[in-house]
Amino acid sequence: MLAVIVLTGIYAPFLSNEVALVWWDQDGLRFPLIWDLFNRRIYEKIYDVYFNVLALLLPILAVVFAVLGRRIGVTGRLKIGVASLALIGTFCLLPVFPGHGARVAVWDHRPFTASGIQEWSALPEAKRPFAVFTPVKHRFDATYPGAILQSPGTINPVTGGHYWLGTDAGGHDVLTHLFFGARISLTVGLVAAGLSFLIGLVVGAVSGYFGGWVDLVLQRIVEIMMCFPTFILILTVVAMYSRDIFFIMAVIGLTSWAGTARLVRGEFLAHAVRDYVTAVEALGLPRWRIMFRHILPNAIAPLLISLTFGIAGSVGAESALAFVGLGDPTAPSWGVLLEQGRENIRYPWLIYTPGLAIFTIVMTLNLLGNNLREAIDPKQRQ
Amino acid sequence: MTAYVIRRLLLMIPTFIGILIINFAVLRLQGPTLVDQMQAGVGKGGGEGGPGERKAQGAAKDVENYIDRFRRSGLDLPALVNVRGFTGRDEVVARLRDSAGDGPNRERPSVRNGIEKNLWLGGPQLVEPLLAVVADDSLATLHAPAVLALTYCAYVTVTARDLARMPAERLNQIQERNERLRNDRIRYTNTAKGFATVDSEAAAKRADLLALFAIPGTQAEFTAARATRWSDALLRTGFCDFMAKLFTAQLYSESRKDYVFSVIADRWYVTFWLNTISIVIAWAGSILLGIRSARRSGSLEDRVTTSGLFLAWSMPSMFFGTLLLYYFCTDTSGSKAWFPNRGLSSDGSMWLPTGEYLLDLLWHAFLPLVVLSYNSFTALSRYMRANLLEQLDADYVRSARAKGCDDDAVVYRHAVGNSLITMITLGGGLLADLFSGALIVELIFSIPGLGWLMLDAAIQSDGPLLMGSTVITVSLLLMGILISDLLYAVVDPRIRGRYA
Repeated sequence: MLAVIVLTGIYAPFLSNEVALVWWDQDGLRFPLIWDLFNRRIYEKIYDVYFNVLALLLPILAVVFAVLGRRIGVTGRLKIGVASLALIGTFCLLPVFPGHGARVAVWDHRPFTASGIQEWSALPEAKRPFAVFTPVKHRFDATYPGAILQSPGTINPVTGGHYWLGTDAGGHDVLTHLFFGARISLTVGLVAAGLSFLIGLVVGAVSGYFGGWVDLVLQRIVEIMMCFPTFILILTVVAMYSRDIFFIMAVIGLTSWAGTARLVRGEFLAHAVRDYVTAVEALGLPRWRIMFRHILPNAIAPLLISLTFGIAGSVGAESALAFVGLGDPTAPSWGVLLEQGRENIRYPWLIYTPGLAIFTIVMTLNLLGNNLREAIDPKQRQ
Repeated sequence: MTAYVIRRLLLMIPTFIGILIINFAVLRLQGPTLVDQMQAGVGKGGGEGGPGERKAQGAAKDVENYIDRFRRSGLDLPALVNVRGFTGRDEVVARLRDSAGDGPNRERPSVRNGIEKNLWLGGPQLVEPLLAVVADDSLATLHAPAVLALTYCAYVTVTARDLARMPAERLNQIQERNERLRNDRIRYTNTAKGFATVDSEAAAKRADLLALFAIPGTQAEFTAARATRWSDALLRTGFCDFMAKLFTAQLYSESRKDYVFSVIADRWYVTFWLNTISIVIAWAGSILLGIRSARRSGSLEDRVTTSGLFLAWSMPSMFFGTLLLYYFCTDTSGSKAWFPNRGLSSDGSMWLPTGEYLLDLLWHAFLPLVVLSYNSFTALSRYMRANLLEQLDADYVRSARAKGCDDDAVVYRHAVGNSLITMITLGGGLLADLFSGALIVELIFSIPGLGWLMLDAAIQSDGPLLMGSTVITVSLLLMGILISDLLYAVVDPRIRGRYA
């Protein structure tokens, strides 16, 4: 299930787009969608570009793994995977994509898109191109004329595609919104939970390993963060500063580390008195090395569980934020859709689509966490 | 026991202060800065056109209004430490030079502008060094900005409380001085910036201004403001000012045009009662369900309950709430909705007899309560079941069974009490989530409670209202945690023993 959501997120533009996947006319065979993936005018957000590149690279990686699979083993595969993900990240930050004028070339002349259907269907038979389109023929950032709150199954006169799940109050296709929302949820989950995990890890490790007054001070701070209704803090910060999606991720990450810190502290407290720690201390290794190279690998298992629940929590927090009307207006997240469902209560597809999507991702992550816990701690299995 | 309570209360103080500081920091780092807002205000005033004099008058009034507003809300004060009392003449000269385009920020006009406007907000503590600059003949190039800053710094904001308390004589004196400062400012800036180019006139106005401060008592008043620099550094800060207003209930909400606590007074009990009742429902329900499920561990019923609870636990309350709103609170073409979709009482329900009034209340509150209790209910039931199962595996349960206790006695007299200890610890941690959940529920069902108020305040960037409602929420929360600590002591004999 999680894999389905991840793949939906990665291949969202291949599932729903106006641009043709394959375009064959007298000028030859072309793949306009592939080129369109690198257009920064359309994919303004950095995570969109990241997912686009990933979408193209994933088959290559799969082939590499299939060919080399035996020879490199699990660790090698992990290393290649992480390295390529990081590589894509740095690649996305470089200003190598066409940003200027590209959108004009693709959209305004509309030679390769479904919205040009009336133009090219009027052409004589011989000149008419052969085109393969994506399953849903709608752009994620487009508002179509007359598309406000249409019920599922209505046909879009512009592109000739169906609104399989209806449209929202802004005239967007809900199904498209659903596909691209997966990207946001995944990004939010990974970035925000990763950030909070890192902070919690460092705070908890320092607090548990050093003890004494450092521990006392850090525990006070952790307690403050535990008592604070975090959602209210996130709400305040986001309402007062910026609604940019990356800012929201950062805020969620910065405010929700208390639980992890407490957990890490407990683990480190327990491990700090073990014999192996005394042994490496006697060797005179630096403290950070003892903490992160020796204790951490031994304590990592329960932390992974908390990371899984953390991802679910971050996704939930972002959706809740969007639900109360403080989401990023430029990012089509599921929470935004659910908020529209609440405001236009008579349109159930606006409630079920995003609601079920959020429910599914949260449930899958919780399930994963539960299974991890059972795998790691067999005593819990009942 | 008393020692335990006192210890718990004392531990809450740093938590409470920490929350106040975090919240204050968040509010003070607000997006559109003071200077930007002032500039917007000044630009608006200046854009009205008309002859130079009237235009300048309008702009000056605007800036004054802004300064007034900022002083009233304490926004002109530095966030945590106030070092303005320590600003000497040399530093003021350096900043004036910088703002006039003869300093490190020569190439950055917006920064220079900001420095100048920040000088305007310096308040009475900057009067003395600025006056020294104006009186110094060798600094003629800096006179224009210095006079401008001086007229703003020496301008005294009169609050409603001052009007009531201050002797009329002193009030007159201040208002007269403010008026003269304003006139001086207008004339002087006009002269200096080229409306009238007669140098002698500018000089005369400067002499005029200096004469104003030569009036006995005037300069002494501002010197006194500087003399208390040490206490000011720590007490005349945005934080202390804000806290003083908070604890004397003087916080004023700009967006509601009312005192913050009188706004909250109309609303806090709604959230309080909703939360309290939902806690009771969630606890009672989850303990019963947990026990039932744990005792039938492994049976079909248990498996269904457990997976159902797991699904329910993963279901976001916003989705659940919106679904309920759609199915039960929306009039369809065929039938009328079962439940009302907004508020906590019908129109005119206060004229109903008590019984009907309560029924009406229940009718309105039913769905919100369901959604609110639902999240903690699912979480708590899962904990309860897992914990009770763990307890039932323990040695003491085996001993009890060996002793010949029947099953009910084992569960209710031995095991349940022990799992309640863990439950209470976890329950305290769930309280914070409950308040966040209340916000969403109040939004869905349009209930005028604290959460909705907070959301409104956040969207309208109303700092004082946000702070006030957060403080109330956190107080309620800490109270809840205290109660859970007390319950902890009640259930756990070890704690009673330690503090006996």
